[in-house]
Amino acid sequence: MRTLRDIWLLFQRPFLQNLRNPSFVIVNISTPLMYLVLFMPLLKRLSGPAFASGHIVQVFLPGIIALLFVTAGTGSVFPTIFELKKGLIERLRVTPTSRLALLTGPMLSWVAWTLISSAVIVALSVPFGFTVHAAGLAVFAILLVLLLTVFAAWVTAVAVLMKGEITSISGIVVGLNLPIILLGGVMLPLALAPTWLRALAHLDPLYYAVEAGRDLAAGAVATTAVGVAFAVLGPLAGLALWWAMRVYRKAVA
Amino acid sequence: MDDQAINHELAVPARPAEQWRRAMSDVAIRTTDLRKSFPVGRSAVAAVDGVDLEVKAGEIFGFLGPNGAGKTTVLRLLATLLPIDGGRASVAGFDVATQSGEVRRHVGYVSQLGGADDEATGYQDMILQGRLYGMSAAAAAARARELAELLGLSEFAERKIKTYSGGQKRRLDVASGIMHEPDVLFLDEPTTGLDPQNRANMWDQIRRLRESGTTVFLTTHYLEEADALSDHVAILDHGSVVAQGTPRELKAQIAGDAVIIRPRLDGDSISHLLDRFVSASMVRNGQVEGDALRLYVDDGPSALPQLFALLEAHNVAIDSVSLSEPSLDDVFLRQTGRSLRDAGRSEGNGS
Repeated sequence: MRTLRDIWLLFQRPFLQNLRNPSFVIVNISTPLMYLVLFMPLLKRLSGPAFASGHIVQVFLPGIIALLFVTAGTGSVFPTIFELKKGLIERLRVTPTSRLALLTGPMLSWVAWTLISSAVIVALSVPFGFTVHAAGLAVFAILLVLLLTVFAAWVTAVAVLMKGEITSISGIVVGLNLPIILLGGVMLPLALAPTWLRALAHLDPLYYAVEAGRDLAAGAVATTAVGVAFAVLGPLAGLALWWAMRVYRKAVA
Repeated sequence: MDDQAINHELAVPARPAEQWRRAMSDVAIRTTDLRKSFPVGRSAVAAVDGVDLEVKAGEIFGFLGPNGAGKTTVLRLLATLLPIDGGRASVAGFDVATQSGEVRRHVGYVSQLGGADDEATGYQDMILQGRLYGMSAAAAAARARELAELLGLSEFAERKIKTYSGGQKRRLDVASGIMHEPDVLFLDEPTTGLDPQNRANMWDQIRRLRESGTTVFLTTHYLEEADALSDHVAILDHGSVVAQGTPRELKAQIAGDAVIIRPRLDGDSISHLLDRFVSASMVRNGQVEGDALRLYVDDGPSALPQLFALLEAHNVAIDSVSLSEPSLDDVFLRQTGRSLRDAGRSEGNGS
């Protein structure tokens, strides 16, 4: 109970601060729109075995949404660095608040904002031919929370361990971004890829979310891809959180 | 009758832990052989190297030392921000290693950076802090108003913290640190970067905290601050306590006075002159301080004529002479062979 209350308190602070920041709110909505407007037209002429499963928007959208959650997760490192440098995180760590709440409260504010932009993108995709399967999307949302947790917990731990050194941390984050996106099969399905590339993709947490997301967006909940995604991302999120909590307990920064 | 007996029995015995805590209550902080090392390359460097401290409840305890001495590390160990490597430490009656949750509930900690949320208003920041210590929204708001009044924040507490001046922000940091009325308050360099007026203001606030029964443990590298503010002082150097006691006791250990002579000489000649003086019998020790010489003698007034005679013998003209009673810097100098004013400079920052 106490932990839930603390999570709620620590969720509100970044969530409301973002809400009061017009540029954040605008970018939060405009970025997904960019994907739709600038990328969707390219897909119209595309066809092939990889897209046999359904309408092209139906296949493409889950990948974009999953990508938004990954970038929100890794992007959360920048406010974290700032808060480390200001001593805010240290100040919070001295309070009796549970370490879990300290980590997940702010993370959930990123979840909330990304869910908002995802809802916008889904609504706007309906005219492009996207069919909404409510149950599938709800299960997808749970998977996306796990996905964001993996990346946000991981970068937070890295940021604290590197004492908020922005150059090194952003180097790592930006450097890993591209392989994560490409291996995740967000832009184009990995069904088109050679075997070795498909094998490599299994190292990328995003890959599992995208694969499961395509099933879920089509309304298929009980598929192997969905089961595998939960089996991988659930424990992985737990592991990342556990590591970040451990770092928070022992942090030197 | 039976009921009464039962009630009586239930009322009296306190929980053993609580009993022990109360028995310890005249000591707010106790450390025994406290140790902490940090990895540097492949080896470990001891930042805190066997520190023994005893801080009485309700006093202001000054933790004095040059930058890099390990003051902040000790503070972070005591505030449960870092796990200890060795030794024991209890704060507010709780063991920092095994009862970190209880320690956190009973201490406040204001770091050098403060840690205020620039985007929040002063009130929002204080209220969040209070609520994280379990206060209700109403209780936290009431306490925030009370502290704003007490610390003179009312005028600007509705404004965003990023608009505050250095002194305003420091007072807010302290207010956040005492929202939950901690038994022990840790203040890491509370006046660094403040102008003299704000520093005097902060000293007043810290004394007022002591009056309200809070134990204040503060670090500083200002001699005057430790001397003026603290009931007890510990001087830390290279991770070890080199002296501990009341400022008066510590200064009393330095038998004798310091004579400060400003000769009309350049740097090299001053060092030569120092050598001459130190080899003279009545001077126990000395050092060059800029364009002046600081000499320690047993009895200042009676040593002066001999010193003048020596100066004349070497044909040295002087600009001024002054006599000073021992300061905490003299205590530091005696224990470490260096002056506290210089000690931090060669060792970099980040204590």
